[in-house]
Amino acid sequence: MIRLVNVTKSYSDEVVALRDASFEVAKGEFVFLVGPSGSGKSTLLRLINRQERPELGEVWVAGRNIVDMPSNRVPMLRRNIGNVFQDYKLLTNKTVFENVAFALEVIGRPRHVIDTQVPTVLELVGLAGKEDRFPHQLSGGEQQRVSIARAFVNRPQILVADEPTGNLDPVTGEGIMRLLDRINTTGTTVVMATHDQRIVDSMRRRVIQLDRGVLVRDQSRGVYS
Amino acid sequence: MISRIGYLLRETGASLQRNITLTVAAIITAAVSLLIFGLTLVIQHGFDNLLAQWEGGVEMIVYVNAGVDDAQRGVIETALTQQEGITIDSWQYCDVTCSLGDADRLFAGDPQTRALLDATNIPTQFKVVPLDATEVDILSGLRDRYLELPNVNSVQLAEEQLDLISRLQGFVSTYTTGLWVALMAAASLLIWNTIRTAMFARRREIEVMKLVGATDWFIRLPFMLEGLIHGVAGGAIASGAMWFINDRWTAGVAEFPVNSGMTALVVVDGYEWRVAAILVAFGALVGTVGSGTAASRFLDV
Repeated sequence: MIRLVNVTKSYSDEVVALRDASFEVAKGEFVFLVGPSGSGKSTLLRLINRQERPELGEVWVAGRNIVDMPSNRVPMLRRNIGNVFQDYKLLTNKTVFENVAFALEVIGRPRHVIDTQVPTVLELVGLAGKEDRFPHQLSGGEQQRVSIARAFVNRPQILVADEPTGNLDPVTGEGIMRLLDRINTTGTTVVMATHDQRIVDSMRRRVIQLDRGVLVRDQSRGVYS
Repeated sequence: MISRIGYLLRETGASLQRNITLTVAAIITAAVSLLIFGLTLVIQHGFDNLLAQWEGGVEMIVYVNAGVDDAQRGVIETALTQQEGITIDSWQYCDVTCSLGDADRLFAGDPQTRALLDATNIPTQFKVVPLDATEVDILSGLRDRYLELPNVNSVQLAEEQLDLISRLQGFVSTYTTGLWVALMAAASLLIWNTIRTAMFARRREIEVMKLVGATDWFIRLPFMLEGLIHGVAGGAIASGAMWFINDRWTAGVAEFPVNSGMTALVVVDGYEWRVAAILVAFGALVGTVGSGTAASRFLDV
Protein backbone atom coordinates (compact mmCIF):
# COMPACT_ATOMS: atom_id res chain seq x y z
CA MET A 1 0.00 0.00 0.00
CA ILE A 2 2.88 2.38 0.89
CA ARG A 3 6.49 1.95 -0.21
CA LEU A 4 9.40 4.31 0.29
CA VAL A 5 12.56 3.65 -1.68
CA ASN A 6 15.77 5.41 -0.61
CA VAL A 7 13.92 8.61 0.26
CA THR A 8 15.89 11.69 1.26
CA LYS A 9 14.17 14.92 2.21
CA SER A 10 15.91 18.05 3.46
CA TYR A 11 14.66 21.55 4.26
CA SER A 12 18.08 23.14 3.92
CA ASP A 13 21.72 22.10 3.72
CA GLU A 14 21.81 21.73 7.50
CA VAL A 15 18.35 20.27 8.11
CA VAL A 16 17.95 16.77 6.66
CA ALA A 17 14.54 15.47 7.75
CA LEU A 18 14.85 12.01 6.18
CA ARG A 19 17.96 10.25 4.98
CA ASP A 20 17.80 7.32 2.55
CA ALA A 21 14.68 5.85 4.16
CA SER A 22 13.19 2.67 2.72
CA PHE A 23 10.30 0.54 3.98
CA GLU A 24 7.03 -0.93 2.86
CA VAL A 25 3.61 -0.98 4.53
CA ALA A 26 1.15 -3.66 3.43
CA LYS A 27 -2.56 -3.08 2.96
CA GLY A 28 -4.42 -3.23 6.27
CA GLU A 29 -1.31 -2.86 8.45
CA PHE A 30 -1.13 -0.69 11.57
CA VAL A 31 2.26 1.00 11.87
CA PHE A 32 3.64 3.24 14.61
CA LEU A 33 6.29 5.81 13.68
CA VAL A 34 8.33 6.59 16.78
CA GLY A 35 11.31 8.74 17.52
CA PRO A 36 12.20 12.01 19.24
CA SER A 37 11.01 15.40 18.06
CA GLY A 38 12.71 16.35 14.79
CA SER A 39 13.43 12.74 13.87
CA GLY A 40 11.40 12.99 10.64
CA LYS A 41 8.08 11.38 11.60
CA SER A 42 5.86 14.26 10.48
CA THR A 43 7.90 14.74 7.32
CA LEU A 44 7.35 11.11 6.48
CA LEU A 45 3.59 11.49 6.87
CA ARG A 46 3.66 14.65 4.76
CA LEU A 47 5.51 12.76 2.03
CA ILE A 48 2.80 10.09 1.99
CA ASN A 49 0.01 12.58 1.26
CA ARG A 50 2.22 14.64 -1.08
CA GLN A 51 2.37 17.75 1.09
CA GLU A 52 6.12 17.40 0.59
CA ARG A 53 8.29 15.95 -2.16
CA PRO A 54 11.65 14.27 -1.55
CA GLU A 55 14.91 15.33 -3.18
CA LEU A 56 15.79 11.70 -3.81
CA GLY A 57 13.96 8.40 -3.89
CA GLU A 58 10.49 7.15 -4.64
CA VAL A 59 7.26 7.28 -2.66
CA TRP A 60 4.71 4.71 -3.80
CA VAL A 61 1.12 4.97 -2.58
CA ALA A 62 -1.57 2.54 -3.76
CA GLY A 63 0.63 1.35 -6.59
CA ARG A 64 1.71 4.75 -7.92
CA ASN A 65 4.93 6.69 -7.48
CA ILE A 66 3.57 10.03 -6.27
CA VAL A 67 6.85 11.98 -6.37
CA ASP A 68 6.35 13.15 -9.94
CA MET A 69 2.56 12.98 -9.88
CA PRO A 70 1.09 16.05 -11.67
CA SER A 71 -0.45 18.59 -9.27
CA ASN A 72 -3.91 18.13 -10.74
CA ARG A 73 -3.86 14.44 -9.75
CA VAL A 74 -2.91 15.09 -6.12
CA PRO A 75 -6.50 15.79 -4.94
CA MET A 76 -7.54 12.32 -6.19
CA LEU A 77 -4.65 10.78 -4.23
CA ARG A 78 -5.67 12.63 -1.08
CA ARG A 79 -9.24 11.37 -1.30
CA ASN A 80 -7.77 7.96 -0.49
CA ILE A 81 -5.80 9.22 2.52
CA GLY A 82 -7.45 10.35 5.74
CA ASN A 83 -5.52 12.78 7.95
CA VAL A 84 -5.72 13.12 11.73
CA PHE A 85 -3.75 15.79 13.57
CA GLN A 86 -2.67 16.50 17.12
CA ASP A 87 -4.50 19.86 17.05
CA TYR A 88 -7.60 18.36 15.34
CA LYS A 89 -7.79 21.14 12.70
CA LEU A 90 -11.55 21.46 13.09
CA LEU A 91 -13.41 24.43 11.65
CA THR A 92 -14.64 26.35 14.66
CA ASN A 93 -17.57 27.99 12.87
CA LYS A 94 -19.05 24.67 11.80
CA THR A 95 -20.94 22.10 13.83
CA VAL A 96 -19.80 18.51 14.29
CA PHE A 97 -22.03 17.42 11.41
CA GLU A 98 -20.83 20.26 9.18
CA ASN A 99 -17.16 19.56 9.93
CA VAL A 100 -17.52 15.97 8.84
CA ALA A 101 -19.85 16.79 5.94
CA PHE A 102 -17.33 19.39 4.74
CA ALA A 103 -14.90 16.63 3.74
CA LEU A 104 -17.53 15.11 1.47
CA GLU A 105 -18.94 18.42 0.27
CA VAL A 106 -15.64 19.74 -1.08
CA ILE A 107 -15.05 16.63 -3.16
CA GLY A 108 -18.49 16.99 -4.71
CA ARG A 109 -20.44 14.21 -2.99
CA PRO A 110 -24.21 14.69 -3.45
CA ARG A 111 -26.34 15.78 -0.53
CA HIS A 112 -28.11 12.45 -0.08
CA VAL A 113 -24.76 10.67 0.26
CA ILE A 114 -23.63 13.22 2.85
CA ASP A 115 -26.88 12.85 4.79
CA THR A 116 -26.38 9.08 4.88
CA GLN A 117 -22.65 8.76 5.50
CA VAL A 118 -22.10 11.47 8.11
CA PRO A 119 -24.52 10.07 10.75
CA THR A 120 -23.09 6.58 10.16
CA VAL A 121 -19.51 7.67 10.79
CA LEU A 122 -20.52 9.82 13.77
CA GLU A 123 -22.18 6.72 15.22
CA LEU A 124 -18.95 4.79 14.61
CA VAL A 125 -16.81 7.31 16.50
CA GLY A 126 -19.33 7.59 19.33
CA LEU A 127 -20.64 11.08 18.66
CA ALA A 128 -24.24 10.26 17.79
CA GLY A 129 -26.48 12.92 19.31
CA LYS A 130 -23.75 15.59 19.25
CA GLU A 131 -24.13 16.51 15.59
CA ASP A 132 -25.24 20.08 16.28
CA ARG A 133 -22.50 20.99 18.74
CA PHE A 134 -19.65 23.28 17.86
CA PRO A 135 -16.02 22.27 18.51
CA HIS A 136 -15.72 24.57 21.54
CA GLN A 137 -18.63 22.71 23.14
CA LEU A 138 -16.71 19.41 23.00
CA SER A 139 -13.92 17.89 25.08
CA GLY A 140 -10.49 17.32 23.54
CA GLY A 141 -11.22 13.62 23.06
CA GLU A 142 -14.52 14.39 21.37
CA GLN A 143 -12.86 16.91 19.09
CA GLN A 144 -10.32 14.29 18.07
CA ARG A 145 -13.18 11.89 17.36
CA VAL A 146 -14.70 14.49 15.04
CA SER A 147 -11.31 14.79 13.33
CA ILE A 148 -11.17 11.00 12.92
CA ALA A 149 -14.75 10.94 11.63
CA ARG A 150 -13.83 13.58 9.05
CA ALA A 151 -10.74 11.59 8.01
CA PHE A 152 -12.68 8.33 7.72
CA VAL A 153 -16.03 9.49 6.30
CA ASN A 154 -14.79 9.02 2.74
CA ARG A 155 -13.63 5.47 3.58
CA PRO A 156 -9.98 6.09 2.64
CA GLN A 157 -7.57 3.23 2.00
CA ILE A 158 -4.97 4.87 4.23
CA LEU A 159 -5.26 6.88 7.43
CA VAL A 160 -2.25 8.88 8.61
CA ALA A 161 -2.32 10.25 12.15
CA ASP A 162 0.24 12.70 13.48
CA GLU A 163 0.36 12.50 17.29
CA PRO A 164 -3.43 12.04 17.59
CA THR A 165 -3.22 11.48 21.35
CA GLY A 166 -0.62 14.19 21.99
CA ASN A 167 -3.10 16.65 23.52
CA LEU A 168 -5.18 14.08 25.38
CA ASP A 169 -5.07 12.51 28.83
CA PRO A 170 -4.16 8.79 28.96
CA VAL A 171 -7.72 7.51 29.35
CA THR A 172 -9.05 9.61 26.48
CA GLY A 173 -6.00 8.66 24.41
CA GLU A 174 -6.81 4.98 24.92
CA GLY A 175 -10.32 5.61 23.63
CA ILE A 176 -8.90 7.24 20.52
CA MET A 177 -6.54 4.29 20.00
CA ARG A 178 -9.43 1.85 20.28
CA LEU A 179 -11.21 3.85 17.62
CA LEU A 180 -8.19 3.84 15.29
CA ASP A 181 -7.79 0.09 15.91
CA ARG A 182 -11.42 -0.40 14.98
CA ILE A 183 -10.94 1.58 11.78
CA ASN A 184 -7.88 -0.55 11.02
CA THR A 185 -9.97 -3.72 11.32
CA THR A 186 -12.15 -2.46 8.44
CA GLY A 187 -9.09 -2.86 6.19
CA THR A 188 -7.82 0.70 6.33
CA THR A 189 -4.04 0.98 6.56
CA VAL A 190 -3.09 3.14 9.57
CA VAL A 191 0.25 4.96 9.91
CA MET A 192 0.54 6.83 13.18
CA ALA A 193 3.35 9.01 14.49
CA THR A 194 3.50 9.09 18.27
CA HIS A 195 5.58 9.81 21.34
CA ASP A 196 3.28 7.80 23.59
CA GLN A 197 5.30 4.86 24.86
CA ARG A 198 2.41 3.41 26.83
CA ILE A 199 0.17 3.16 23.77
CA VAL A 200 2.88 1.64 21.55
CA ASP A 201 3.86 -0.88 24.20
CA SER A 202 0.28 -1.92 24.90
CA MET A 203 -0.82 -2.36 21.28
CA ARG A 204 2.24 -4.32 20.10
CA ARG A 205 1.99 -3.41 16.44
CA ARG A 206 4.70 -2.83 13.88
CA VAL A 207 7.09 -0.05 14.97
CA ILE A 208 9.31 2.02 12.68
CA GLN A 209 11.80 4.09 14.63
CA LEU A 210 13.47 7.19 13.24
CA ASP A 211 16.42 9.05 14.66
CA ARG A 212 17.60 12.30 13.06
CA GLY A 213 16.06 11.30 9.76
CA VAL A 214 17.50 7.80 9.69
CA LEU A 215 15.34 4.68 9.96
CA VAL A 216 17.01 2.82 12.83
CA ARG A 217 14.46 0.10 13.60
CA ASP A 218 11.62 -1.66 11.82
CA GLN A 219 10.08 -4.25 14.13
CA SER A 220 6.83 -6.16 13.83
CA ARG A 221 4.82 -6.36 17.09
CA GLY A 222 7.37 -3.99 18.55
CA VAL A 223 7.61 -1.74 21.58
CA TYR A 224 8.49 1.93 21.86
CA SER A 225 12.20 1.51 22.46
CA MET B 1 -23.62 19.47 -9.45
CA ILE B 2 -26.45 21.19 -7.57
CA SER B 3 -24.69 20.67 -4.25
CA ARG B 4 -21.48 22.15 -5.74
CA ILE B 5 -23.35 25.23 -6.98
CA GLY B 6 -25.05 25.52 -3.60
CA TYR B 7 -21.67 25.30 -1.88
CA LEU B 8 -20.18 27.90 -4.24
CA LEU B 9 -22.97 30.40 -3.61
CA ARG B 10 -23.03 29.80 0.14
CA GLU B 11 -19.28 30.22 0.56
CA THR B 12 -19.20 33.30 -1.67
CA GLY B 13 -22.05 34.92 0.26
CA ALA B 14 -20.39 34.15 3.59
CA SER B 15 -17.08 35.58 2.42
CA LEU B 16 -18.71 38.77 1.13
CA GLN B 17 -20.41 39.28 4.49
CA ARG B 18 -17.27 38.50 6.45
CA ASN B 19 -15.25 41.12 4.51
CA ILE B 20 -18.03 43.67 4.26
CA THR B 21 -15.88 46.80 4.72
CA LEU B 22 -13.23 45.66 2.26
CA THR B 23 -15.96 44.54 -0.13
CA VAL B 24 -17.62 47.96 -0.04
CA ALA B 25 -14.25 49.70 -0.51
CA ALA B 26 -13.39 47.51 -3.50
CA ILE B 27 -16.78 48.06 -5.11
CA ILE B 28 -16.65 51.86 -4.62
CA THR B 29 -13.13 52.09 -6.05
CA ALA B 30 -14.09 49.93 -9.01
CA ALA B 31 -17.24 52.03 -9.53
CA VAL B 32 -15.36 55.35 -9.46
CA SER B 33 -12.67 54.19 -11.86
CA LEU B 34 -15.20 52.61 -14.21
CA LEU B 35 -17.31 55.77 -14.07
CA ILE B 36 -14.33 57.83 -15.20
CA PHE B 37 -13.67 55.27 -17.93
CA GLY B 38 -17.31 55.48 -19.01
CA LEU B 39 -17.33 59.27 -18.97
CA THR B 40 -14.14 59.28 -21.04
CA LEU B 41 -15.84 57.13 -23.67
CA VAL B 42 -18.98 59.26 -23.63
CA ILE B 43 -17.05 62.55 -23.84
CA GLN B 44 -14.97 61.18 -26.71
CA HIS B 45 -18.18 60.20 -28.49
CA GLY B 46 -19.53 63.70 -27.89
CA PHE B 47 -16.38 65.22 -29.42
CA ASP B 48 -16.70 62.82 -32.34
CA ASN B 49 -20.21 64.16 -32.92
CA LEU B 50 -18.92 67.70 -32.74
CA LEU B 51 -16.13 67.04 -35.20
CA ALA B 52 -17.95 64.60 -37.47
CA GLN B 53 -18.41 67.15 -40.24
CA TRP B 54 -14.64 67.69 -40.35
CA GLU B 55 -13.73 64.02 -40.77
CA GLY B 56 -11.43 62.93 -43.60
CA GLY B 57 -9.16 65.96 -43.67
CA VAL B 58 -11.95 68.43 -44.46
CA GLU B 59 -10.65 71.94 -43.73
CA MET B 60 -13.29 74.08 -45.36
CA ILE B 61 -17.07 73.82 -45.73
CA VAL B 62 -18.93 75.88 -48.29
CA TYR B 63 -22.59 76.17 -47.25
CA VAL B 64 -25.02 76.52 -50.14
CA ASN B 65 -28.39 78.23 -49.86
CA ALA B 66 -31.34 75.89 -49.58
CA GLY B 67 -33.37 75.24 -52.71
CA VAL B 68 -30.65 75.87 -55.35
CA ASP B 69 -30.99 73.91 -58.57
CA ASP B 70 -28.32 71.80 -60.28
CA ALA B 71 -27.21 74.65 -62.57
CA GLN B 72 -26.76 77.07 -59.67
CA ARG B 73 -24.84 74.46 -57.75
CA GLY B 74 -22.74 73.75 -60.86
CA VAL B 75 -21.22 77.23 -60.66
CA ILE B 76 -19.73 76.42 -57.27
CA GLU B 77 -18.62 72.97 -58.44
CA THR B 78 -16.81 74.54 -61.37
CA ALA B 79 -14.98 76.97 -59.07
CA LEU B 80 -13.88 74.09 -56.84
CA THR B 81 -12.84 71.89 -59.78
CA GLN B 82 -10.65 74.71 -61.16
CA GLN B 83 -8.57 74.60 -57.97
CA GLU B 84 -8.20 70.82 -57.91
CA GLY B 85 -4.52 69.91 -58.00
CA ILE B 86 -3.55 73.56 -57.35
CA THR B 87 -4.80 74.32 -53.85
CA ILE B 88 -7.52 71.70 -53.39
CA ASP B 89 -6.89 67.99 -53.11
CA SER B 90 -10.54 66.91 -53.32
CA TRP B 91 -14.07 68.00 -52.52
CA GLN B 92 -17.36 66.27 -51.84
CA TYR B 93 -20.91 67.47 -52.09
CA CYS B 94 -23.04 66.77 -48.99
CA ASP B 95 -26.63 66.83 -50.22
CA VAL B 96 -29.83 67.45 -48.24
CA THR B 97 -29.92 63.97 -46.69
CA CYS B 98 -26.24 64.17 -45.74
CA SER B 99 -26.65 67.66 -44.31
CA LEU B 100 -29.69 66.61 -42.28
CA GLY B 101 -27.54 63.77 -40.87
CA ASP B 102 -24.88 66.28 -39.83
CA ALA B 103 -27.58 68.41 -38.22
CA ASP B 104 -28.80 65.41 -36.25
CA ARG B 105 -25.40 65.18 -34.64
CA LEU B 106 -24.67 68.87 -34.31
CA PHE B 107 -27.99 69.64 -32.64
CA ALA B 108 -28.34 66.39 -30.71
CA GLY B 109 -28.51 68.33 -27.48
CA ASP B 110 -30.91 70.92 -28.81
CA PRO B 111 -33.92 69.18 -30.37
CA GLN B 112 -35.91 72.43 -30.62
CA THR B 113 -33.36 74.03 -32.96
CA ARG B 114 -32.99 70.78 -34.89
CA ALA B 115 -36.75 70.69 -35.39
CA LEU B 116 -36.52 74.00 -37.26
CA LEU B 117 -34.40 72.40 -39.97
CA ASP B 118 -35.89 70.29 -42.76
CA ALA B 119 -35.24 69.42 -46.42
CA THR B 120 -36.67 72.74 -47.59
CA ASN B 121 -34.49 75.06 -45.57
CA ILE B 122 -31.25 73.27 -44.66
CA PRO B 123 -28.14 74.56 -46.42
CA THR B 124 -26.29 71.82 -48.30
CA GLN B 125 -22.48 71.66 -48.11
CA PHE B 126 -19.33 71.26 -50.17
CA LYS B 127 -16.68 69.67 -47.96
CA VAL B 128 -13.23 70.62 -49.17
CA VAL B 129 -9.92 68.86 -48.49
CA PRO B 130 -6.97 71.18 -49.26
CA LEU B 131 -3.60 70.05 -50.62
CA ASP B 132 -1.85 71.60 -47.63
CA ALA B 133 -3.91 72.23 -44.50
CA THR B 134 -1.12 74.30 -42.96
CA GLU B 135 -1.37 77.01 -45.63
CA VAL B 136 -3.86 79.08 -43.69
CA ASP B 137 -3.46 82.13 -45.95
CA ILE B 138 -4.37 80.17 -49.06
CA LEU B 139 -7.45 78.73 -47.34
CA SER B 140 -8.50 82.20 -46.21
CA GLY B 141 -8.08 83.47 -49.78
CA LEU B 142 -10.24 80.63 -51.09
CA ARG B 143 -12.90 81.40 -48.53
CA ASP B 144 -13.03 85.04 -49.58
CA ARG B 145 -13.36 84.03 -53.25
CA TYR B 146 -16.09 81.47 -52.62
CA LEU B 147 -18.06 83.88 -50.46
CA GLU B 148 -18.47 86.04 -53.57
CA LEU B 149 -20.01 83.20 -55.58
CA PRO B 150 -23.81 83.29 -56.02
CA ASN B 151 -25.91 81.13 -53.68
CA VAL B 152 -23.06 80.61 -51.24
CA ASN B 153 -24.56 81.02 -47.77
CA SER B 154 -21.33 80.96 -45.79
CA VAL B 155 -17.86 79.43 -45.73
CA GLN B 156 -16.41 77.94 -42.58
CA LEU B 157 -12.77 77.02 -42.01
CA ALA B 158 -11.84 74.15 -39.73
CA GLU B 159 -9.16 76.10 -37.91
CA GLU B 160 -11.82 78.44 -36.53
CA GLN B 161 -13.63 75.61 -34.76
CA LEU B 162 -11.37 72.64 -34.93
CA ASP B 163 -8.20 73.80 -33.23
CA LEU B 164 -9.82 74.68 -29.93
CA ILE B 165 -11.98 71.56 -29.84
CA SER B 166 -9.09 69.30 -30.84
CA ARG B 167 -6.95 70.73 -28.09
CA LEU B 168 -9.79 70.31 -25.60
CA GLN B 169 -10.39 66.76 -26.79
CA GLY B 170 -6.70 65.90 -26.44
CA PHE B 171 -6.58 67.39 -22.95
CA VAL B 172 -9.68 65.57 -21.76
CA SER B 173 -8.61 62.33 -23.41
CA THR B 174 -5.10 62.36 -21.93
CA TYR B 175 -6.02 63.23 -18.37
CA THR B 176 -9.18 61.16 -18.04
CA THR B 177 -7.47 58.13 -19.58
CA GLY B 178 -4.55 58.50 -17.19
CA LEU B 179 -6.92 58.87 -14.27
CA TRP B 180 -9.06 55.85 -15.06
CA VAL B 181 -6.05 53.66 -15.74
CA ALA B 182 -4.60 54.61 -12.35
CA LEU B 183 -7.92 54.10 -10.58
CA MET B 184 -8.56 50.83 -12.39
CA ALA B 185 -5.18 49.58 -11.23
CA ALA B 186 -6.11 50.67 -7.69
CA ALA B 187 -9.46 48.86 -7.94
CA SER B 188 -7.80 45.74 -9.25
CA LEU B 189 -5.23 45.81 -6.44
CA LEU B 190 -7.94 46.40 -3.88
CA ILE B 191 -9.92 43.41 -5.16
CA TRP B 192 -6.69 41.40 -5.15
CA ASN B 193 -6.04 42.41 -1.55
CA THR B 194 -9.63 41.72 -0.50
CA ILE B 195 -9.39 38.19 -1.86
CA ARG B 196 -6.01 37.74 -0.22
CA THR B 197 -7.50 38.81 3.12
CA ALA B 198 -10.49 36.52 2.59
CA MET B 199 -8.17 33.61 1.86
CA PHE B 200 -6.06 34.37 4.89
CA ALA B 201 -9.19 34.47 7.06
CA ARG B 202 -10.12 31.03 5.72
CA ARG B 203 -6.65 29.52 5.64
CA ARG B 204 -7.62 26.73 8.02
CA GLU B 205 -10.58 25.78 5.85
CA ILE B 206 -8.39 25.87 2.75
CA GLU B 207 -5.81 23.65 4.44
CA VAL B 208 -8.51 21.13 5.37
CA MET B 209 -10.02 21.31 1.88
CA LYS B 210 -6.68 20.52 0.29
CA LEU B 211 -6.02 17.64 2.67
CA VAL B 212 -9.37 15.98 2.02
CA GLY B 213 -8.85 16.19 -1.73
CA ALA B 214 -10.63 19.31 -2.98
CA THR B 215 -9.27 20.44 -6.33
CA ASP B 216 -7.56 23.81 -6.62
CA TRP B 217 -10.36 25.04 -8.89
CA PHE B 218 -12.99 24.05 -6.37
CA ILE B 219 -11.14 26.09 -3.73
CA ARG B 220 -10.53 29.05 -6.05
CA LEU B 221 -14.01 29.40 -7.52
CA PRO B 222 -15.80 31.03 -4.53
CA PHE B 223 -13.01 33.62 -4.33
CA MET B 224 -13.14 34.28 -8.06
CA LEU B 225 -16.93 34.62 -7.87
CA GLU B 226 -16.44 37.10 -5.03
CA GLY B 227 -14.10 39.19 -7.20
CA LEU B 228 -16.50 38.92 -10.11
CA ILE B 229 -19.29 40.27 -7.90
CA HIS B 230 -17.04 43.19 -6.83
CA GLY B 231 -16.36 44.06 -10.47
CA VAL B 232 -19.92 43.63 -11.74
CA ALA B 233 -21.35 45.63 -8.82
CA GLY B 234 -18.79 48.39 -9.48
CA GLY B 235 -19.66 48.33 -13.19
CA ALA B 236 -23.40 48.48 -12.48
CA ILE B 237 -23.01 51.43 -10.10
CA ALA B 238 -20.73 53.21 -12.59
CA SER B 239 -23.28 52.62 -15.37
CA GLY B 240 -26.07 54.10 -13.29
CA ALA B 241 -23.97 57.12 -12.32
CA MET B 242 -22.86 57.63 -15.92
CA TRP B 243 -26.45 57.47 -17.16
CA PHE B 244 -27.49 60.02 -14.53
CA ILE B 245 -24.63 62.43 -15.35
CA ASN B 246 -25.25 62.11 -19.10
CA ASP B 247 -28.95 62.73 -18.58
CA ARG B 248 -28.31 65.86 -16.49
CA TRP B 249 -25.68 67.12 -18.98
CA THR B 250 -27.99 66.56 -21.95
CA ALA B 251 -30.76 68.46 -20.21
CA GLY B 252 -28.36 71.29 -19.37
CA VAL B 253 -26.85 71.58 -22.86
CA ALA B 254 -30.19 72.73 -24.30
CA GLU B 255 -29.67 75.94 -22.30
CA PHE B 256 -26.39 76.71 -24.11
CA PRO B 257 -26.44 79.20 -27.05
CA VAL B 258 -27.08 77.47 -30.40
CA ASN B 259 -23.79 78.66 -31.88
CA SER B 260 -21.76 77.54 -28.86
CA GLY B 261 -21.07 74.14 -30.43
CA MET B 262 -21.99 72.48 -27.17
CA THR B 263 -25.25 71.21 -28.61
CA ALA B 264 -23.28 68.49 -30.38
CA LEU B 265 -21.42 67.51 -27.25
CA VAL B 266 -24.04 65.05 -26.03
CA VAL B 267 -24.70 61.36 -26.39
CA VAL B 268 -28.32 60.53 -27.10
CA ASP B 269 -27.97 57.90 -29.83
CA GLY B 270 -27.98 54.82 -27.57
CA TYR B 271 -24.19 54.80 -27.33
CA GLU B 272 -24.52 55.29 -23.55
CA TRP B 273 -26.12 51.82 -23.26
CA ARG B 274 -23.21 50.28 -25.12
CA VAL B 275 -20.84 52.04 -22.71
CA ALA B 276 -22.89 50.74 -19.75
CA ALA B 277 -22.50 47.18 -21.07
CA ILE B 278 -18.77 47.79 -21.57
CA LEU B 279 -18.43 49.04 -17.98
CA VAL B 280 -20.14 45.97 -16.51
CA ALA B 281 -18.12 43.63 -18.74
CA PHE B 282 -14.88 45.44 -17.95
CA GLY B 283 -15.69 45.40 -14.23
CA ALA B 284 -16.35 41.65 -14.44
CA LEU B 285 -13.05 41.13 -16.24
CA VAL B 286 -11.00 43.19 -13.77
CA GLY B 287 -12.74 41.54 -10.79
CA THR B 288 -12.20 38.04 -12.11
CA VAL B 289 -8.59 38.61 -13.13
CA GLY B 290 -7.75 40.34 -9.81
CA SER B 291 -9.38 37.69 -7.68
CA GLY B 292 -8.21 34.80 -9.85
CA THR B 293 -4.62 35.98 -9.60
CA ALA B 294 -4.87 36.33 -5.83
CA ALA B 295 -6.64 32.98 -5.46
CA SER B 296 -3.89 31.24 -7.40
CA ARG B 297 -1.08 33.14 -5.73
CA PHE B 298 -2.27 32.55 -2.15
CA LEU B 299 -3.68 29.04 -2.45
CA ASP B 300 -0.79 27.69 -0.38
CA VAL B 301 -1.82 29.52 2.76
